[in-house]
Amino acid sequence: MTLLRSALYETLAQGVTDFTHLHGWEMPRVFSSVAEEYRAAESGAAVHDRSHAGRLKATGTDCLDLLNRLSTNKVDELAPGQGAPTILTTDQGRIVDLVQVVNTGDCVLLLTSPGTQEAIIEWLDKYTIMDDVEVEDWTQNSAMLTMLGPEAAAAAATVAGLDTQAISGLPAYGAIPATVGGFPAQVVQQSLGPLPGFQLVLEVSGAAGAWEALLDAGATPMGAEAYDALRVAHAVPSHGQEMGQPYNPLEAGLIGSIDFAKGCYIGQEVIARLDTYQKVQKHLVTLRFEGPAQVSPGDSLVHEGRAVGLVTSTGWTPEGYLIGMGYVRKAQASTGSRLELEAPAEGWAEISGFSQLFGPGE
Amino acid sequence: MAITQDGVELGVTVSEKAAEKIKYFAQKDGLDDEVGLRVAVKGGGCSGLTYDLTITSDELPTDKVVEQHGIKVMVDKKSYIYLVGTELEFSDGLNGKGFVFVNPNAKKTCGCGTSFSV
Repeated sequence: MTLLRSALYETLAQGVTDFTHLHGWEMPRVFSSVAEEYRAAESGAAVHDRSHAGRLKATGTDCLDLLNRLSTNKVDELAPGQGAPTILTTDQGRIVDLVQVVNTGDCVLLLTSPGTQEAIIEWLDKYTIMDDVEVEDWTQNSAMLTMLGPEAAAAAATVAGLDTQAISGLPAYGAIPATVGGFPAQVVQQSLGPLPGFQLVLEVSGAAGAWEALLDAGATPMGAEAYDALRVAHAVPSHGQEMGQPYNPLEAGLIGSIDFAKGCYIGQEVIARLDTYQKVQKHLVTLRFEGPAQVSPGDSLVHEGRAVGLVTSTGWTPEGYLIGMGYVRKAQASTGSRLELEAPAEGWAEISGFSQLFGPGE
Repeated sequence: MAITQDGVELGVTVSEKAAEKIKYFAQKDGLDDEVGLRVAVKGGGCSGLTYDLTITSDELPTDKVVEQHGIKVMVDKKSYIYLVGTELEFSDGLNGKGFVFVNPNAKKTCGCGTSFSV
């Protein structure tokens, strides 16, 4: 299979040779060191080429109304500049994908997980009957730079020619139009858990210039490995690991993206019942491992000889701790619980927390 | 394309009681003669597809139109395939559900009855 390359590939290849394959794309794994890149995002500003994540442009008078009927959050009244995360779910209340919906004024921009954009287009098409909605896959004709960290807004402002306040003051998931190196762009607010974050979404022609300008503004280039370790540390679920049709949004800690008062959407009946009768069977947790040299997604977590959970993601912190995420049955899902790793992995996993938006008892 | 059974073209039928209610709502909207009802299907609802009723006298060239109990029932071409053979009834009383769709194409219907999957 031919690997896809981001608009930044040539630029990035000058400074890095360590590439990895992500959902059919060849993307930088690491620039300087995972620890240095991780720390930059926590204490300064880091920039990460996330062009392999999906971007769809939806146009037509019924766009927001259709999305509102098909997904968990209230998105039908988003004004230009406003956005919201919403989850497309099946009629069984299972996750198709978590999508950030942004009304740019010209179109509705959908930021999807990497590799899900075609499935989402098919999903929307299946339920578009009389509606005035056109959806275009914009992924390969655009680029997306993720800026993370306390200094990210200042770096983004320099590149976008805007005041830092205009970016740091963006409402959650909101967007502001910008011109980057003469090319139209959108700066979209999208935190990574508690880490301040912004997406710079722009046409491919502007990508290399924007990257260079962000580095000149002091941002540290970050590869896929540091980004994923930060994601795991901050309990942000990823499609294919923590999100997908095996899971419902309540298990995945996504209650913050569900509006329980907005009325019907596909899967609403099941999700409302799970919530009302507290029928959620398992929870997404963050894990700290003790002992093992290596843990892999798919490894079982055991309590008193019985498998009670599954590791879904792993990563290393800059201090050298092996951390992870996983699903654990409700009875064992509490902070501080210690679970045994099933052979051949040896050691323990301690539950260090829950996904940011949802935990038992909340 | 018309879908037939025993030589009779199937469409959307409206019970007499449902027709009376539609006329009542049409009159409230100031539509006295030529009462028309558009029956359509939209994406959404708990099960994936949901019914959409509109009182209107505007007919589209591609509509399937049937006159029943003094009202004109219009179904657009795209919705027609999901609605063939559907009966629209009206359930009144304190615990009545209002307009009820009896749709032979629905494999699953949600609790409130306004959404279905095929």
